[in-house]
Amino acid sequence: QETKTLLKGFVLSVTGEPLNGASVVVKDHGEGTITSPNGAFQLTISSNKVALIVSAVGYTTKEEVVLVKEAGALVIHLSPGKNVLDEVVVVGYGTRRKADLTGSLTAISEQSLKDVPVANLSAALQGQGAGIDVQKSGGNSHPGAAPSILVRGVRSIDASNSPLIVVDGIPFNGSIDDINTNDVVGVTVLKDASSTAIYGSRGANGVVLVTTNRGRTGKPVVTYSGYGGFTKPSGEYGVMNGPEFENLKKWGLINGNPGKYTGIDDPAFMTDGTFAPEELYGIRHNRSTDWQKEVYRTGFMTDHQVGVSGGADFTQYAVSGGYHKETGVYPGQSFERFSVKLSVDQQLGRLIRFGLNSLDSYTITNGENANPMEQALRASPLASPYDSTGALINYFVPGSANQVWNPLDNFVKGAAVENRKRLNTFNTLYLDVSLAKGLKYRFNAGTEIHTDIYGNFYASNTTNNLGGLSTSTNSTGINTSYTLENLLTYDRTFGGRHKVNFTGLYSLQQYEAQSNSFSDNSITADYLQYYNPQYAANLTGTGSYQKWDIISYMGRLNYTYADRYLLTLTLRSDGSSRLAPGNKYHVFPSAAAAWNINHETFMKNTRTFSDLKLRLSYGTVGNTAIDPYQTLGSLSAINYNFGTAVVTGAYPTNVPNPNLTWEYTSTLNLGLDFGVLNNRVTGSVDLYHEYTNNLLLPESLPPTSGIPNAVLTNIGKTENQGIELQVGAMILQSKGKGAFTWRADLNLYINRGKITRLENGVTQDIANNWFVGHPIGTIFDYKKLGIWQNTGADSALAQKLGLTLTGTGSVIGTIKVADVNGNGKIDAGDRITQGSNQPKWEGGMTNRFSYRGFDFTVVAFARVGGTITSSLFQSGGFVNTYQGNYNNINVNYWTPANHENVYPKPNSASTNTPYSSLLSYFDGTFVKIRSLSLGYTLPRSWLTMTGFHTMRVYATAQNPFILFSPYRNKYGGVDPETAMGSGAGSGNEGAIGINTPSTWSMIFGVNGSL
Amino acid sequence: CQRKLVENPQSILTPAFFKTAQGFQTGLDAAYAGNRNIWGPVDYATMSVPGTDEFITGNDGNNDINKYNSNYTSSTGTLSNVWTPCYTYINTCNGLVDNAVSVTGLDTATRNEMVGEARFLRANYYFLLVQQWGNITLNEHFQSTPTTSAAQSPMADVYAFIIQDLRAAIAVLPPSPQTTGVLAGKATKAAAMHLLSKVYLTRGWSPAAQAGDFTHAFQVADSVIHVLGPANGVYLLQDFGQVYAEGNEANNEVLWSVQHTTNLAYNGSATQNNSGPDNLYCHFWVPKYEVEPGMQRSTLYGRPYIRWVPTLWLMDTAFADKVNDTRYAKSFQNLWLCNFAGSIPVWTSPLPPGAPANAVVGQPKFTLNDTAIFMPGYDVSNAQIAASRYLLIPPRKYSIALSPAMTKYFDINRSNMNAPSIRPIIIYRLAETYLIAAEALLMSGQAAAAVPYINAIRERAAYPTGNAAAMDITAGQVTLDFILDERARELCGEVTRWEDLRRTRTLLQRVQLHNSDGRFTITARDTLRPIPQVQIDATITGPAYTQNPGW
Repeated sequence: QETKTLLKGFVLSVTGEPLNGASVVVKDHGEGTITSPNGAFQLTISSNKVALIVSAVGYTTKEEVVLVKEAGALVIHLSPGKNVLDEVVVVGYGTRRKADLTGSLTAISEQSLKDVPVANLSAALQGQGAGIDVQKSGGNSHPGAAPSILVRGVRSIDASNSPLIVVDGIPFNGSIDDINTNDVVGVTVLKDASSTAIYGSRGANGVVLVTTNRGRTGKPVVTYSGYGGFTKPSGEYGVMNGPEFENLKKWGLINGNPGKYTGIDDPAFMTDGTFAPEELYGIRHNRSTDWQKEVYRTGFMTDHQVGVSGGADFTQYAVSGGYHKETGVYPGQSFERFSVKLSVDQQLGRLIRFGLNSLDSYTITNGENANPMEQALRASPLASPYDSTGALINYFVPGSANQVWNPLDNFVKGAAVENRKRLNTFNTLYLDVSLAKGLKYRFNAGTEIHTDIYGNFYASNTTNNLGGLSTSTNSTGINTSYTLENLLTYDRTFGGRHKVNFTGLYSLQQYEAQSNSFSDNSITADYLQYYNPQYAANLTGTGSYQKWDIISYMGRLNYTYADRYLLTLTLRSDGSSRLAPGNKYHVFPSAAAAWNINHETFMKNTRTFSDLKLRLSYGTVGNTAIDPYQTLGSLSAINYNFGTAVVTGAYPTNVPNPNLTWEYTSTLNLGLDFGVLNNRVTGSVDLYHEYTNNLLLPESLPPTSGIPNAVLTNIGKTENQGIELQVGAMILQSKGKGAFTWRADLNLYINRGKITRLENGVTQDIANNWFVGHPIGTIFDYKKLGIWQNTGADSALAQKLGLTLTGTGSVIGTIKVADVNGNGKIDAGDRITQGSNQPKWEGGMTNRFSYRGFDFTVVAFARVGGTITSSLFQSGGFVNTYQGNYNNINVNYWTPANHENVYPKPNSASTNTPYSSLLSYFDGTFVKIRSLSLGYTLPRSWLTMTGFHTMRVYATAQNPFILFSPYRNKYGGVDPETAMGSGAGSGNEGAIGINTPSTWSMIFGVNGSL
Repeated sequence: CQRKLVENPQSILTPAFFKTAQGFQTGLDAAYAGNRNIWGPVDYATMSVPGTDEFITGNDGNNDINKYNSNYTSSTGTLSNVWTPCYTYINTCNGLVDNAVSVTGLDTATRNEMVGEARFLRANYYFLLVQQWGNITLNEHFQSTPTTSAAQSPMADVYAFIIQDLRAAIAVLPPSPQTTGVLAGKATKAAAMHLLSKVYLTRGWSPAAQAGDFTHAFQVADSVIHVLGPANGVYLLQDFGQVYAEGNEANNEVLWSVQHTTNLAYNGSATQNNSGPDNLYCHFWVPKYEVEPGMQRSTLYGRPYIRWVPTLWLMDTAFADKVNDTRYAKSFQNLWLCNFAGSIPVWTSPLPPGAPANAVVGQPKFTLNDTAIFMPGYDVSNAQIAASRYLLIPPRKYSIALSPAMTKYFDINRSNMNAPSIRPIIIYRLAETYLIAAEALLMSGQAAAAVPYINAIRERAAYPTGNAAAMDITAGQVTLDFILDERARELCGEVTRWEDLRRTRTLLQRVQLHNSDGRFTITARDTLRPIPQVQIDATITGPAYTQNPGW
């Protein structure tokens, strides 16, 4: 006799977190459901004993036999596990079963994203997948500064190397900062050409597909997550203290005025104006001001998100609201985001389904350019920021050549104000119509409106204006974009073994941006700041307008035979407005094949492999990520006056390049996916080779060309090849609820890029820093041998090379470089390539331990090799000049007595020590502990009174340690991490500037659901 | 739908605009504005003022180039900072000259005059390049397509092109800056003729010399002095001190100036942050007075960039006569009045021998607005220095931080004490025309004829307190050295000295004699600047760009 029973339960992770969207299917019956965000499910079943197959993205599928009578509050725990074959992953224009994939991609689960609660999505991807390199831009740790993402290295020199971000199927043009990470339930990074080719012209740098939370049928579920914590600088820059600076100044003057002083103890130093009176007071009273300590403070952050989702038979919804705020490590810096998300899905009859999704955010960034560091590092440690009455000095810092303004003046309320307010609304709409069996039409539309209002005001007495006129800037901008897509899909299985899936697309994308900016100075009253230029003087203004369009046609065919042989063919044609007439269209083909080896009959009896798949793909993607109007040339404005008559002139600075065409990249990818011990260990290996053609390069022309600005041209080729390895293993998994588990996920990747061809057989283009056979970002400079010593041998050699040995320009004590070409003198011919910012390898590792309700996660990231350039050491911001005018990095500089062979002599007669760039190259190796997180899932029994179904509390330390970094540990740098290639073409690749120091933070949080 | 792929820019000017009447005018304005990148910033002045017999490097700044030491190389940024804008604005001028025929909407006279202005500016940029670098690239036409190659032209071709431009300009330009309707800073016939005479003079000295160069130089200069000038309001001012008086930059002696304005939005940088094309000449000669007792920085005394200090030769020898010749006193500051009560020194016990009668131990040595620093220009004993109430600095105590300050470019009407100057910069003035005429006569063997030209300058220098007759020289005194010394007295600091010494082949000798910075380091290669490395590095197709000898 059949009885119908309602089976209720929860699907949780082994750490007790509810699993949203997990699939619960009755074995052999096919009935099933999907869990709601609190992990709850209910099923009507018709027997007393059933086997449930429970699966979720990122977890090992589990079969659990349930006796219905005993079931009661059924709780099913799933262990994390990747590469589950039935797992469905989001791919371009659709989803695929993992088993059916032919391309190379990395899927990152919600769990992985939640392990490291961070302010923005790019930071969340750090260390999560092979080939995904996430870096801070130039050492910038401002609140709200989004790190840059590179997929498989730098391939383009000028065009952007940032991947395309696609949110819920629609390209997202806004800042990745505008997406609330709490709304994201999954991220897929498409890496090889076969996966990205369907994004054609915009896919060359990889594609990041972001999926946001949607409602599910069932009782409404309320979730809350929140955290709060603090941020501190990861360290101080190693500048000199009072006595060290006193000696530097003296040595500088001794070397800068040969014969004037008897030595370091010459009493004349104390009376001849070498030191300002305030510094002399400082010397007498052993003052040693730590200006960094004066500048830094503890930053705070807080984040809250409340979500409600649910649905009835035909309608599902999800609503959430979030708030995030963080303040920086100096006053005046903060980032705040308010976000709202709403999604609704509606079924109309049997054939039609439509849905809406709206992601809206409002962000306020304060002090995004606030950077008193240069002044703080240069200020004389013998002086004080306060006068004898304890009041803040509103003037130059004594003893710093009247170039360094008291950096603390910037923190006086209203003195330095900078804020940006952004409103971003991203809306997508779809309409699905089932036309016939297997045949579906989908209309997809997305629109994004982004407004940006920026203002700054710097009073006269700030480091920005050094006592000069107060300045204000006010700018506004609006960007709008839309995407319209018509998709036709046909999905059928013929004869049980022939699976065919066809996707056809026609789409139009348009982006339009306009902005205005007004600057003025000497505003009547400081409190007016930038709000009303009517009361200011010398108003100047600029404006810009941009628009681009892409029209695309795409077709993709997937064919699977007996789940064993898989084939994907894609063809996309894109037309871009940004290229010259005649070159606007390009066709991007790709093909991929895969072989599920373990589905072969000969594998039936091997139990070793639970998964084994070989993949091979080849395809071409393009890149037009260049600014519009580059094919037209342009004039630049310049102001002048003839007596009292003022004029604005315009002169040619950019020449037209009517031949500009597509840059395209062809990739060959060979991959192997494997799973052993019933998928307890899973992984994949990918080998790839990328060929980039018609590189879009900004080429600096010889000055005699009369064209001062670089010309964008299609020249040359680059190649990238690499290996990516991803392995995940459940190392320990003891039986029973709450037992000890240890899971490790490891990814390693190696990328080697190089330029293989330049224009007209040119093999080196020094002016543009391109060298055939070397990677982009190669360092080309003199070869440092050491320091010229005051020995007979060195003097003789210097003389032979025609170097000066007398006066303030004497080379003795300065950097000694090699006469590489052996022509008997040091000249430009002695420059050589010496390394690049390309690391040897990079990798990430996540270890997750759980025991009873506790979970502990460690995420580590390593980069080994590669040369970084630290402008701090290259006297960036005049901090390491060896002149003695300003404070200096504390190094063991050369003196006639110490024979130092690394750091040159101080010299007051030289603004910068010669060959100072050679002081800025460092080994970029480091290992970083990205995060340490300890969580505890409260036992259900504790929650019964609260109404919560689940609750987890945790504490996370973000970026707590930097290990094995010679730059930090040996040379006094703070953080070796830098965005590679983010300043593409600017020559700043791999460069660390003097900016907000790297930070670490500690947060405490709670996640719960009702 | 395909129409969506057509670009219609709405916020940028494209090269087509350059060919319209409006574009033609804005292009010409830009060609003028380009001069602010040359005169005003530190780079070109560094290549012309110090490293000579007049000035050595002061306490601050990048100065290897002025010391001719081995750290001065083709990569020294100063070089490309001058080289690059010259070529950029030459191309602007090329565009104006080439496009002129096809521009519509301008009447012929206006168009011709505008082309004349463009040719004057182009000649001026090329003249600077050829004087500093020798054999350079000569672009005669507008370049509107990218090129990665560059040819070098013989100096002779460059001079010929400059002369051709100036002759064409002279034919169409209005007579002088004083002519009704001519705006300040505009090119005129007077300026073009002055420049042409200087070009002839320079070519006459060079390996590219043509027969008659010195004669031509004299004829053109003399024509400015005696024909064009008098008829068009151009004459020597009575008082040398008025030539560089603040606010008098459009005086009757001025032939051409690079403009700056009190309308800060149209000055070099709107924020007056001393960047880009600002006029910084007001800062370069200011010494480090502000750290001395009783002193602080002020708008009156200026912002001490301390770039250049006078050589002892300039102070003692060139300006040996400080009585009849008023130019030293009118060009240099040697007295600073106390402007800061907070650091006035007090007499300490025991009082030094010879201390002033009213000196009291523990009492301030002087008060606000009393003398705080004084450089008498003659030697005083150490005892006198010790007994002085103010800081007394004889020439033997001049230092690279504190020496007499050249005041020609001082600007007390700047927006604040750190702001750049709002004064126009005088580039060519009639006094130099006289000295060009004199040098041209000397070189064509007519030393005696040069006497009146030199005396005109010298007699004026006596006004109002000196004995003009005592300033006069005779034919026997007219030598190259005398003319160079006279140039130093009249034109010191006026951004022409390095070229003058180089032209007259006296650079090495005079630096070795009078310049303590470069005395032992200057060599024959220093008579030309090295081609900027960026030029050599970026010339990647065609023949390699040849570096100058010895570099």
